Amino acid sequence: MICSNILLIDSDKIDVVSTKNAFSTLCIGAMLHFAESENEAWSLLQGDHKISPTPKIILIDINQNGSSGMELLHKIRNHPDLKSILVFVITKTNNEENKVAALNLNIAGYLRKPVENGSNIDFFSRLNDYWNIIEFASEKK
Amino acid sequence: MTNRLVNILLVEDDEVDVMNVKRAFSKNNIQNPLFVAGNGVEALEMLNTSIVPLPRIIILDINMPKMNGIEFLKVLRETEKLKNISVFVMTTSNEDSDKIEAYNLNVAGYILKPLSFEKFISSVATLKNFWQLCEM
Repeated sequence: MICSNILLIDSDKIDVVSTKNAFSTLCIGAMLHFAESENEAWSLLQGDHKISPTPKIILIDINQNGSSGMELLHKIRNHPDLKSILVFVITKTNNEENKVAALNLNIAGYLRKPVENGSNIDFFSRLNDYWNIIEFASEKK
Repeated sequence: MTNRLVNILLVEDDEVDVMNVKRAFSKNNIQNPLFVAGNGVEALEMLNTSIVPLPRIIILDINMPKMNGIEFLKVLRETEKLKNISVFVMTTSNEDSDKIEAYNLNVAGYILKPLSFEKFISSVATLKNFWQLCEM
């Protein structure tokens, strides 16, 4: 069972509430942290409000033009302490350029966010099942 | 994703494990074309010559002769046309060092091979459900 910290970066407050509800409904044991922007996320990863231990999983919601999210993804992949984090990109839009760029940065999955009512639970249920079959290295002491 | 039937490459030297993956695919109705390489050297040769289109998914064992999974991953990530392929490690190695190296090379997941075939089928079902969320 995944017991790590998870960081969600999403500027849409309604989506954040919906994700929170899905985690609660599914009793996902991970501690979910939120950031509304790239700057806030970076502060939680490397700045004054650093989450400890470092999250093993990051969910980034990438918007239509990719301005929010892609830069952060680059910074994560270029940082020695963060580059190995499992990053899942979530999007509502069909932007081939963003998809190719994200896949080139070896994200763990480029996921289309469900828009129908109720499908959010199924979406996070499948993701959680996947997180529960994968192994991580022991925490650094 | 599986609806579009992307090619999948299994890199695995153990014939019993290859058979188990094939059976688990069949039980879970995964119809994607499955290519099999016995080690990293063979896998690179297949990727560079014979698999068209390139697989979007590689299932990778760690302990193999000639070129092991980590060595293969390093070459994969340094090769422009291959570096963006999603790699799922499936191994019996529970070593932290292997997990750290694999995640440093940005695998999409590190899965321990379950001991029973029933659990193996269930893990493959979970993988299939996850792959269906992914755009590749």
